[in-house]
Amino acid sequence: MRYLPSAQIEDQALLTAIGVEHSDELLCGIPDSLRYKKDLNLPTEASELDVLRQFEELAGQNTRFHSCFLGAGAYSHFIPSAIDALTSRQEWFTAYTPYQPEISQGTLQHIFEYQTLVCDLTGMEVSNASMYDGGTACVEAALLAVRLQKKKNIILVSKGIHPHYAEVLRTNIAPHDGIKIEQVSLKDGVTDLEDLRSKLTPEVACVLVGYPNFLGCIEDLVSISEITTPAGALLVSVTQESMAFGWLEAPGKLGVAIACGEAMSFGNPVSFGGPFLGFLAVNDVHKREMPGRIVGQTQDTNGKRGFVLTLASREQHIRRDKATSNICSNQGLVALRANIYLQLAGPTGLKGIAEQNVAKAQYLHAKLVETGKFEAVYATPYFNEFTLKYKGDITSFQDACLDRGIMPGLPLGQYFDSMKNCMLWCATELNTKEQIDDLATFVAGLKV
Amino acid sequence: MALIPKESIIFERSVPGKVGMDMPALDVPIASDTRPSHLKRLSFSAMPEVSEVDVIRHFTRLSRWNFGVDDGLYPLGSCTMKHNPRINEKVASLPGFAQSHPLAPAKHVQGNMVLMWTLQEWLKEITGLAAVTLHPAAGAHGELTGVMLIRAYHISKGSKRSIMLIPDSAHGTNPATAAMAGYTCVEVPSQADGTISFDDVTDASSGKTKKGLLSLLKEHGSEVAGIMITNPNTVGIFEYRIGEIAKLLHDIDALLYMDGANMNALMGVARPGDFGIDVMHLNLHKTFGTPHGGGGPGSGPVACSIALEPFLPRPVVVKTSGGYELEWNRPQSIGKMHSYFGNFAMEVRALAFCLSHGSDGLRKATMRAIINANYIRKQLEGTYHLQYSTPTLHEVVFDDTHQSKHGVNTLDIAKGLIDRGFHPPTIYFPLVIHGALMIEPTESESKAELDAFIEAMLDIAKGAENNPDSIKQCPVKAPVCRLDETTAARKPVLRWKAPSANS
Repeated sequence: MRYLPSAQIEDQALLTAIGVEHSDELLCGIPDSLRYKKDLNLPTEASELDVLRQFEELAGQNTRFHSCFLGAGAYSHFIPSAIDALTSRQEWFTAYTPYQPEISQGTLQHIFEYQTLVCDLTGMEVSNASMYDGGTACVEAALLAVRLQKKKNIILVSKGIHPHYAEVLRTNIAPHDGIKIEQVSLKDGVTDLEDLRSKLTPEVACVLVGYPNFLGCIEDLVSISEITTPAGALLVSVTQESMAFGWLEAPGKLGVAIACGEAMSFGNPVSFGGPFLGFLAVNDVHKREMPGRIVGQTQDTNGKRGFVLTLASREQHIRRDKATSNICSNQGLVALRANIYLQLAGPTGLKGIAEQNVAKAQYLHAKLVETGKFEAVYATPYFNEFTLKYKGDITSFQDACLDRGIMPGLPLGQYFDSMKNCMLWCATELNTKEQIDDLATFVAGLKV
Repeated sequence: MALIPKESIIFERSVPGKVGMDMPALDVPIASDTRPSHLKRLSFSAMPEVSEVDVIRHFTRLSRWNFGVDDGLYPLGSCTMKHNPRINEKVASLPGFAQSHPLAPAKHVQGNMVLMWTLQEWLKEITGLAAVTLHPAAGAHGELTGVMLIRAYHISKGSKRSIMLIPDSAHGTNPATAAMAGYTCVEVPSQADGTISFDDVTDASSGKTKKGLLSLLKEHGSEVAGIMITNPNTVGIFEYRIGEIAKLLHDIDALLYMDGANMNALMGVARPGDFGIDVMHLNLHKTFGTPHGGGGPGSGPVACSIALEPFLPRPVVVKTSGGYELEWNRPQSIGKMHSYFGNFAMEVRALAFCLSHGSDGLRKATMRAIINANYIRKQLEGTYHLQYSTPTLHEVVFDDTHQSKHGVNTLDIAKGLIDRGFHPPTIYFPLVIHGALMIEPTESESKAELDAFIEAMLDIAKGAENNPDSIKQCPVKAPVCRLDETTAARKPVLRWKAPSANS
């Protein structure tokens, strides 16, 4: 076994030093009746080359597409080469959580910079070091809001939240007997303000709204916060496509109390949905109720600037069952990729990429509508995703595209009964004019 | 010191006009600005303007302030800092996997389906349990998923229970998880040999009596949903009465959860499903060699008995005559725990780890991890104090009883190791051992590496006796000296602000 330092001569020296003849004597703490005496019914060891071949074969069983117009929470963006090069340094990817700050300053400073960038993008004052993904970030945001709101126990969720996030939220709130989730309906693709107003009872702790929402529509957080804030509810923005922060105003400047969501778009492949990057940011007044790791700046005994994990009295290893969350491992290396991405892009780069996304999406929208096979569903502004209705059967349309090597958008009927034959389309800077034109030509030629 | 690079915070290096990334010229018409004016992004306050060279140098220099597994022995107890094979990194980034979309129809991601299915089969065989979900993104997330399966089980039987029993030696994530799943935690004390106490335990100094497992089960009876046990426990001791504990719990239809953080001690040696475990999580980033990434991403699959299988998070990968599919119609499922299928790229790495080792290699890895820990124990047990004389498996927990007589405590010993070129062990945990030094060398270490570590530990002990100050001022060879954590927490500075904004 190539990873084990198991030379016979060395093993024997260790056993002799320990004072046993056979290594099985070291299992004396496990009652004999509980030991597994057989060999595991699994293949025997494989060489590196054999392993490589097996995985190349498996990876090859996934269809590769010429072009992809599917987003819905997992976005394909350009990844600068520097990201893989830097994150493949062992000092980054093999290290553990920075429990020993003197030999973890690299990780700690990176997290401090990441926190700063999340605050900048969201317009908030305090970010944690990451959550697992967009769905679990919603859970933590909702639980945080309920803690802050003491006796209020209703979580209002706009129907425009990513349906997977909404299900993760329902699953995780279910064990909390006192907490209820209620849904706010949509109108013209965005949260229905009248329905929201009618549901904003004094018991409402928070309202979760997509920004942009799952259907691609841009919610007007200002109009929403003007309703939620006087009602005493905390507004939570849920951003599933963080690239939109290059184009849209920071939610913190629009009346949001908690900003959360998914930031995989910054430097990460879609990778079948993980690892992704949940983010969560609040204002200073709420920092001591935050879940997760937080890094703070301090000084060493010589007065030199340094960084440490801080506000640990919120966390599970100190507070145990009274902790703000059970989270321990987070998405550190994914946050590093996002940090590197954002530093490379800078303010100008990020705005430029965001504008390219909008331009490509608008072009895709125009070309699809032009075919006569699709029609717009909403007039609301969108970032890089939008909803169109197909004039025929969307499932056969999807199959036709897939057969052609094109990954089309997401059929929405599976999530919303009222959206049969609707499709959520996405275009990013990776989609060329040629890809979009080819798609349009193909769609135009389909018989409905 | 010349080898320790200097580096500022990136925002302090920002120069207006610099950029580190570019894009092809736009090949479609410029976007029309459809945003309402109040939703337009106007500015950023911190985003740096730096070149690609600046960024590469920045993260390269910062990286050198870190200690990684490739730097040397990293005996962080309970974290299983073993070698991270590079082939695993390579296969996880194959474009066929990396570019596969989580919402792609199943027939177009059959490779991923086979991969997840196969990894589940491996984990089932290794744990001796009937079903596995790969969705949890980390150990604590696996715990939460597992405890929610327990909750769903009881609800399905019409009995809603309120109490989760948790040994006092447990990781903090266990009680935090039980609370997040709506349970009240009740602590079970340890007995003199370091294992769970069946009988009541009277504390010698305070005279207070804590109820043991039997009394707690009697007191709370059918309110007990289950118990969360780490096995081997956080002291490295196998809970040898686990079979009896399982029977006691099962007699009242309560379930046995196993925290699998220490599964590296059991691969091919003992199977949790065979000793009565109903549900457990595994840490792929510990036992199965996936890298820790400076804090994540991890992966925390959950294995469970057939009785709990209906409650697994959806969708579930199923094998049909026509290939693999995702089954969403799972009426008893707890729902979704992750937006998609967990940290998939970590699952790829873990399967590569499994295939590389094979059944024989996994057992060899466990045995070598146990040998290495016992070698360290043997070499250091006279010098450092051991609270329990019970045999230990893959880790050993010393404490600072002998050194504190000279004013040198566990923190000092840890910092002394830094100056001697090693990552310190886990310190001050488990809480049941005062001043704990929890050492887990893993199977990756050769005798030479172990000997160097042992020599460093002996040198520190000698220093503690002869020149305590020489240890108490450590580290002096790290990029920074000891940091002021108190001020960091009292006056938190949690993000960089431009100098003008500070005044």
